[in-house]
Amino acid sequence: MTRIKTLLMASAALSLPAAAAAQAPENTIVTALSADITTFDIAQVSERGNSNIMRHIFATLETTQPDGSIAPDLAESLEITEDGTGYIYTLHEGLTCHDGEALMAEDVAYTFNRAADPDNGFTGNVPGFLFSGMQFEGAEALDDRRVQVNIRTPNPIARGLIAEVMVHCMDAYEAMSIDEAGQNPVGSGRYQMVEWDRGSQVVLERVVDESEAPVERLVFRIIPESSTRTAELLAGNVDLVTNVPPDQLDVIDANPNSDVYIAQGLRRIYVGFNLSDEFAAMPGGDAIQDPMVRRALQYAVDVPSICTQLLNFECERATGLVNPPHNHPDLEPYPFDPETAEAMLDEAGWERGEDGTRFSIRFQAGRDRYLNDVNVVQAITQMLQDVGVDVDLQILDWASTYVPLIRERNAGPLYFLGTGGNIWSEFIDMNDLNSVEAGTNYTHWDDPRWFDGWDVIRDPSASPEEIEETRLEMLRVFYEDGPWLHLYSQPDFYAMSSRLNFTPRQDERVYLWTATLE
Amino acid sequence: MWTFLLRRLLQSVIVLIGVTLISFVALQIGGDPTYLFVSENASTEEIERARALLGFDRPLHIQYLSYVWDVMRLDFGTSLTFRQPAMDVVLAALPASIELTLFSLILAIVISIPLGIVSALYRGKPVDGGIMTFAMIGQSIPNFWMGIMMIMFFGLYLSWFPISGHVPFLRPLFQGDFARAFGNLPQTLHYLIMPAIAVGSYTLARNARLVRSSMLEVLQQDYVRTARSKGISETRVIVHHALRNAWLPVVTMIGLEFGFVLGGVVVVETVFSYPGVGRLVFNAINQRDIPVVQAAVIVIALIFILLNLIVDLIYARLDPRVKL
Amino acid sequence: MSLPTDTPATVAPVPDTQLPPAPTWRRELRRAWASMVASRWALMGLIILLIAIFVAIFGPALAPFDPNRQNILLRLVEPGGAGPGGSVYWMGSDALGRDVFSRLLHGARVSLLVGFAAIAVGGTIGIIAGLLSGYFGGWVDDIIMRLGDIQLAFPFILLAIMFLVVLGPGLLNIILVLGIGQWITYARIVRAETLSLREKEYVEAARAMGDSTLSIMFRTILPNIMAPLTVIASFNVASVILSEAALSFLGLGVPPNVPTWGSMLSESREHLLSNRWWLAIFPGMAIVLVVLAFNIIGDWLRDHLDPRLREHG
Repeated sequence: MTRIKTLLMASAALSLPAAAAAQAPENTIVTALSADITTFDIAQVSERGNSNIMRHIFATLETTQPDGSIAPDLAESLEITEDGTGYIYTLHEGLTCHDGEALMAEDVAYTFNRAADPDNGFTGNVPGFLFSGMQFEGAEALDDRRVQVNIRTPNPIARGLIAEVMVHCMDAYEAMSIDEAGQNPVGSGRYQMVEWDRGSQVVLERVVDESEAPVERLVFRIIPESSTRTAELLAGNVDLVTNVPPDQLDVIDANPNSDVYIAQGLRRIYVGFNLSDEFAAMPGGDAIQDPMVRRALQYAVDVPSICTQLLNFECERATGLVNPPHNHPDLEPYPFDPETAEAMLDEAGWERGEDGTRFSIRFQAGRDRYLNDVNVVQAITQMLQDVGVDVDLQILDWASTYVPLIRERNAGPLYFLGTGGNIWSEFIDMNDLNSVEAGTNYTHWDDPRWFDGWDVIRDPSASPEEIEETRLEMLRVFYEDGPWLHLYSQPDFYAMSSRLNFTPRQDERVYLWTATLE
Repeated sequence: MWTFLLRRLLQSVIVLIGVTLISFVALQIGGDPTYLFVSENASTEEIERARALLGFDRPLHIQYLSYVWDVMRLDFGTSLTFRQPAMDVVLAALPASIELTLFSLILAIVISIPLGIVSALYRGKPVDGGIMTFAMIGQSIPNFWMGIMMIMFFGLYLSWFPISGHVPFLRPLFQGDFARAFGNLPQTLHYLIMPAIAVGSYTLARNARLVRSSMLEVLQQDYVRTARSKGISETRVIVHHALRNAWLPVVTMIGLEFGFVLGGVVVVETVFSYPGVGRLVFNAINQRDIPVVQAAVIVIALIFILLNLIVDLIYARLDPRVKL
Repeated sequence: MSLPTDTPATVAPVPDTQLPPAPTWRRELRRAWASMVASRWALMGLIILLIAIFVAIFGPALAPFDPNRQNILLRLVEPGGAGPGGSVYWMGSDALGRDVFSRLLHGARVSLLVGFAAIAVGGTIGIIAGLLSGYFGGWVDDIIMRLGDIQLAFPFILLAIMFLVVLGPGLLNIILVLGIGQWITYARIVRAETLSLREKEYVEAARAMGDSTLSIMFRTILPNIMAPLTVIASFNVASVILSEAALSFLGLGVPPNVPTWGSMLSESREHLLSNRWWLAIFPGMAIVLVVLAFNIIGDWLRDHLDPRLREHG
């Protein structure tokens, strides 16, 4: 056994590979991803790492910038029809797809309509999230260069959603079955796919001028185990790792060949209170019906310590569901104050029983989805237990068990979730709760002070001041009596080789044409 | 012989029905998989439509029977995540896993037999003690941990072996691209060594002990004593008499061990980011990609059946007392 | 990782000699002890095992902390470092500031419980199936053995993953899955032994005396085949403990508030690169030592109980 121990200590003590680090090939960025790549069809993709790769192969009409503004891509200009339901894009001249076919307005219309066609049975992000979010009606070519995207009702977030849809040409896709299209992308973007070794790696090669994409080749390697990813980075075989576990940051930082980059992400991590009638009849579910109890629990959780200790990051506790800069400017994050929490719980009528317990409640979470999530939910459990709440923590398999519960709005009474955020509109983060019955209202919250506010926001005759006033009032209600135990917006940790110059964005999008190599 | 094969064939069909039925039922009772294939904002109608499209709206027994009917026509369904024929997905990942299992078994045999023999010949001596201690420990370390330790020490610190990944040999070989296959071979082996040891360490250790004990037994047998007394050289005795019989338990174990080695493969493929069937099927189970799970289970069961058949045939050859 | 589908092939084949209906326990014990002392390995295994069992029984009482008490401000403290209120983390603290030593002590109980309980589940099913199969033969035998074929052709790990993904991870589910995974090993051995014992004189005698079938199976046959079963059980406990670790690695282990050595080892893997060796070394050593002990004892039991090997001593 001493043999093993020495071996472990020897290898653990080192932070520098002894031999000269094997350098990754020249003019190539090697990125390590954790999840498998399943498709290259723009209508089928839903996982972030997968769509990040595809965004290199396919261009979009417009593109959201790191600062939240929207810039032209394939389209040079946009007009919106007077009734606000028609978006008319004018394409640049001389666009082509990778197979040489000219990219015209009818190709764009085809891309949109193909993705929306129920007969194709696509289940990706485009038909499921983007199209349902904008209430997509259809797309049509007005002439060679002008294409109109129609939506059902005016919608402040439609432009940003349309900007997410990747575009391809028509002829190549008409000729392929859906099976084939998923494996053989014919793109419109800066890179084309040259190799897909499933379960292993994807290789892309630049098809545009060096000025538009400085690095010639991009390799995306799939490495599911996080310590293996980090080891490859330290060994110099990988240039970029996303989602680095917080406890490995120091090793990476200490290594002269690699650096850590931290981006304040937009994914909002929270504990939800499921207020459904079904849960109201369950132990604990009855207690959290009372806004006072929910507010009390806010004081019980030490968010700054969770951040510094478990996430290796100084974070500001959230005050609601909207990311800065669109959050309510005057709300103070709830402090960590277990005495106040206990006093409020007493006042709400949930005094400690003889065994020290106020009430029992089930707390559900998925596994290994968000940064250090298993540890974070355990820490929250301990903190709630410290104020006398008997928490039954259930950590479930993410895809097979937890996702169905969330989708059926049946997770809880307490549940842990991270919801992707955006900053290109002040309403986009609020949109999860755009109606009581919304599929994303996982909490069944129905406070009219929030939901009636949408009528004002959607009212075309309302003045901007009136809308903003309503919006802030809604956020205040959410802060005080809302269905979320506020936590933080998740930091995103990137590890990079020292030869890579790249500034990650806040929104988990990794676009490597903005990167250079030394 | 022919009745033996026929009986085996019949048993195989029963086994195949059994394994598909078990995996089908297991994955279905966990709840409706439809939600994994619709997006977050899907409306009730969209979910209904997806359910119908995926065929999950039919009663379970109908779903299974229609699956069996399709399989009889060699249609193994379409992967729900990849949207490609499920069997293609599995077969694409198979060569890498075969490389890994085969290489780890070869490694285990090539190393364990000499170790076992030496150990038996020097019974009770320090060499024996050393080998057996090594074997005992090799049999007691969880293989994911051994994998990570090897990555850190031999991969990162010493840079002897690549940390993760895979260079294909069998796939180009099957595709008829011999130049590429054999060009890749040195790299393939270089990438394979650490994962193969992690997969095979248990087998290696156990086989070493197995060879040792059966050698000891054989060395006591009358015919070996006779051979020795006739003045036949010790090497000849070992090779011609002892080794031949010491093989038997090892051969038996290889057949039984397949499923066991495959279990190690699931874990080790994850640690070394190795693109094989183990990881594929693990992901498929998590994603409820039932057609892929089913196709993989069928392939694995077929390999198992075939392997055991081969083992029985070899056994019959090695041991004249065994009649099929 | 080790999976319970493995059938130690070295387990004694059916002995040719006729077994006596009941061994004289006292003499047997004395002989066993002598042979154990003679083989230093076996003695070492026994000592490790006794220590492990002692810890499993009394460990929770000896633990200085609640194994689940977190202290995230005192996380990843090195062994010997200061804990809360002047206490000491003798084996350091983990990623949530829980005391590794206390978790290790509690883990002994859970890990051994998983090992023994899984064997009890698998052994019980296997013994009953094997007795039925061997005693009655015919279609009963056919059905049971075909079920066994199916089980063997279905790699255990896939079965385990499938059921744990569906049922959700939990101590009971893990025990059941690990247990069910190996019934066939026992069933096959019991069947083979029963087949040969069925025609033995003392079984015939019992039958002639009008003993019921149940009584013959459980009182007459079973005691005579306990020896090879003990050998297998010993190896199997070892492989079940390793399997539990592997399932933890795949995220299908026990819930995080239940400490087991396997889950502790699995959690340690994110910290190996950053030199938090204590998270891996202590549970790792515990697993290796206990698995080693069971393997050694299995070896010794086999040598000791297998009459053929004994003759050649």
